[in-house]
Amino acid sequence: MKLRLALVVVPAILLAGFIFFIFTAVPALIASQPYNPSAQPIHFDHEVHVKTVGIECTFCHRTATQGITAGYPDLQQCMFCHAVVNETLASNQHNADEILKVRQKWAAQEAINWVRIHRLPDHVGFVHEPHLRAGFQCATCHGDVGSMGQVKQVRALNMGDCLDCHKGNNPLKLTGPTECATCHK
Amino acid sequence: MADEPLKLYASVNEQGSQYKWGMVVDSDRCTGCQACVVACQAENNIPINDENRYVEHRQKEWIRIERYWEGEFPNVKARFLPVMCQHCNNAPCEPVCPVYAIYHSSDGLNVQVYNRCVGTRYCGNNCPYLVRFFNFWDPEWPEPLTAQLNPDVTVRTRGLIEKCTMCVHRIQRAKRESSKDGRKISDGDLSPACVQACPTNALVFGDWNDSNSRINQLAKDQRGYRILDNLGTEPAVVYLKRVDPNLAETKGGGH
Repeated sequence: MKLRLALVVVPAILLAGFIFFIFTAVPALIASQPYNPSAQPIHFDHEVHVKTVGIECTFCHRTATQGITAGYPDLQQCMFCHAVVNETLASNQHNADEILKVRQKWAAQEAINWVRIHRLPDHVGFVHEPHLRAGFQCATCHGDVGSMGQVKQVRALNMGDCLDCHKGNNPLKLTGPTECATCHK
Repeated sequence: MADEPLKLYASVNEQGSQYKWGMVVDSDRCTGCQACVVACQAENNIPINDENRYVEHRQKEWIRIERYWEGEFPNVKARFLPVMCQHCNNAPCEPVCPVYAIYHSSDGLNVQVYNRCVGTRYCGNNCPYLVRFFNFWDPEWPEPLTAQLNPDVTVRTRGLIEKCTMCVHRIQRAKRESSKDGRKISDGDLSPACVQACPTNALVFGDWNDSNSRINQLAKDQRGYRILDNLGTEPAVVYLKRVDPNLAETKGGGH
């Protein structure tokens, strides 16, 4: 009796588990989850830099208009300002601590290991330059980073998202090439 | 209609692209130095083929040098033939792919889309030029060489087919650069890694649609032929080879 019960119950549980997996885990795996890291090594606040200070995106991400990647600023570039804007000039204690971290990294000549938020697969060759040349704003894909504080990925940035835009569903109503070799490498 | 040869694909001009990329290979100039092979391996992130790979016939060479003996001893000559993907206009590899991982681009390139490929190897079996290579292993490089991988070219993982792209990443880059100035790509703006490395200029790259391009001038030569032309694949690569009347015809293979 017990054996017969086990023969029914165990497959039933396995089947239920399988169905549960199909309907919950698989869509979660397939759907592109915007990647939100818990913390960057330094609490860099985009809102302060973009809104309060008024720095252009391309002042720090300076290869975006010419190159493939937008680029992370060097630590040296942080020191363009933070050599003068030191911890004593910060608006609150939290910001003062973070500025101190940057200056300490510079003094030690150590790079900051930022956590990358927007990462495409290896077989995708996205190039910033033609998109900016066509007149798109950074915010078209990256959202309003200036009011984010800690940056989050706001769009799926998967192939469907790319093709949607390339077929004309974008603010500028422009169409882009949709050939595989344009992006896939 | 009966006179029209049966075609799988519209010719490139009918598709409306301005380019049709191709190559001319002058085998009379080729010295068999293999600089193109090395340049291609470095450019396209191809792992190192050690001796075992050749013994197993599983080596990956997007461009290879084939050697033929011409004539009989003592009146004998070594002939070299660089063979890369011919980017056929009537490609046998394209229709057999069950997952549409191969497509014919409007520029006349035969493009392998790696992320679609599931590795059935039908295309490799159907290619008469043997220029499609299956990844039997994940690629590996000894330690310092991992730092020299080309970021423009993906690293292909185990279980998919790869082949010469005619350096499509360089073509894309040239297209971006020329569109900045709002002009067409002109002859000599770009060359694939093999063409760039060739010391004797045996390899020439260009646009068949441009009637003044160097490849169009060279292909007018009466030495011109296409390899395995009788198969009707319409390759985009034209070879040049002088037939030497002083050499007796080789008996047997001579490979």
